[in-house]
Amino acid sequence: MAAIITETQSIKEAVTSINTIELNKFSRLLSRILQKLHLKEERTFSEEEEQKLQSALSLDKQDLSLVLDTTAFILEQAVYHNVKPASLKQQLEKIHLSPEKAEAFCQAWTAVCPDVVEKVRQRIFAPKKLEHVGWQLNLQMAKSTQAKLKDPHAVLELGVRNEDSQSVVEKVFVEFSHQELLQFYNQLETVQAQLDSLT
Amino acid sequence: MSSNHAKVAVGASKDSSFLGGRIPSEIEIMAKQLKDLDQEMFRKILKAVVSAIEGKDCREAMKAIAENAAVPEERLSYVVAGMYRLLKEALRIPTSSLKQEVFKEDLRELRIPEEFITDFASVVFGNRRTALEAVATQQGPRLPSLKDFRWRVDVAISTSSLARALQPSILMQMKLSDGKAHRFEVPVSKFQELRYNVALILKEMNDLEKRSVLNIQD
Repeated sequence: MAAIITETQSIKEAVTSINTIELNKFSRLLSRILQKLHLKEERTFSEEEEQKLQSALSLDKQDLSLVLDTTAFILEQAVYHNVKPASLKQQLEKIHLSPEKAEAFCQAWTAVCPDVVEKVRQRIFAPKKLEHVGWQLNLQMAKSTQAKLKDPHAVLELGVRNEDSQSVVEKVFVEFSHQELLQFYNQLETVQAQLDSLT
Repeated sequence: MSSNHAKVAVGASKDSSFLGGRIPSEIEIMAKQLKDLDQEMFRKILKAVVSAIEGKDCREAMKAIAENAAVPEERLSYVVAGMYRLLKEALRIPTSSLKQEVFKEDLRELRIPEEFITDFASVVFGNRRTALEAVATQQGPRLPSLKDFRWRVDVAISTSSLARALQPSILMQMKLSDGKAHRFEVPVSKFQELRYNVALILKEMNDLEKRSVLNIQD
């Protein structure tokens, strides 16, 4: 399996720093980074937390950020290539990570690997994404142009999130009569048939 | 006390006409104006009013009628307004509730000439009825409905985060009746949710159409 990490200068420095960290602390660090790996925008640690880490791990600011970035990078590469834990361990030892640290990586990776890969796989980036589906079924009894109706009408509420505005969900309302809904459903069935033919 | 009762009793001679307890003024005025109107003219005006109700542009037809000096403009406007209102009110009620004979009776009460009553009845109960009803269904307050629906199934082979992704996703484009277009991506899981919900609504609609709540007596 091709090497997923090449031993550059900064990798060497990072490895040296990592090797100095206590094993327990490092394992905890790993889990934390793995948790947030599939989230693109968020920083794994806040400013405050980074300060605390500096003192806890006796690393200065620069070394700490090198360690964090490198660990995240290794994990991202592992996700990208979908490496097996054994292969990962080998590669880490090749870049001179201490055996115990390599083992820690390996264990953490084994535990969460399928989940993380799945989450990253599900991530779509598109300008707008459908997030929420709501609906309402009404029975229309009359309107200004027609009396004495008994017309079922459905209203679909589609919550569409814009990629750039994290908190704003645009709500699209679409009304359907029975006939119109049936047509829509048939179109959805066609899409489903296409999806089925992929597997 | 008793004199008030007497007044009320005199006022209600029969069940109110299909136009309601109080006849709209434009219809009453029209009824008077119809007295010496010749039938050919009446039919021309009726034709224009019906196409207006159907939503067609009838300005040309109305202009042609107005230019014919036989009918003064003021009188024409009363007749047109009354006809429009009369037909709209009659078309509003389903034929199961308003029968032709009752309709004709109500028009006789308004003292509309018999030949005109027949013409009105042929519009309301004739074969143009379904087309007119279809227009009424389309009008009226509505949330935007789906005018055009397009979709696309994509498979992401590889992304910057995953060398081998092979993840399908769906791109949907909806054009609504209010002119707005919405394009968005739908993850497969959300698509399943959407499909499930639409099927659920359809099932509920079917149940609703069978249930006794629809036996509300008209």
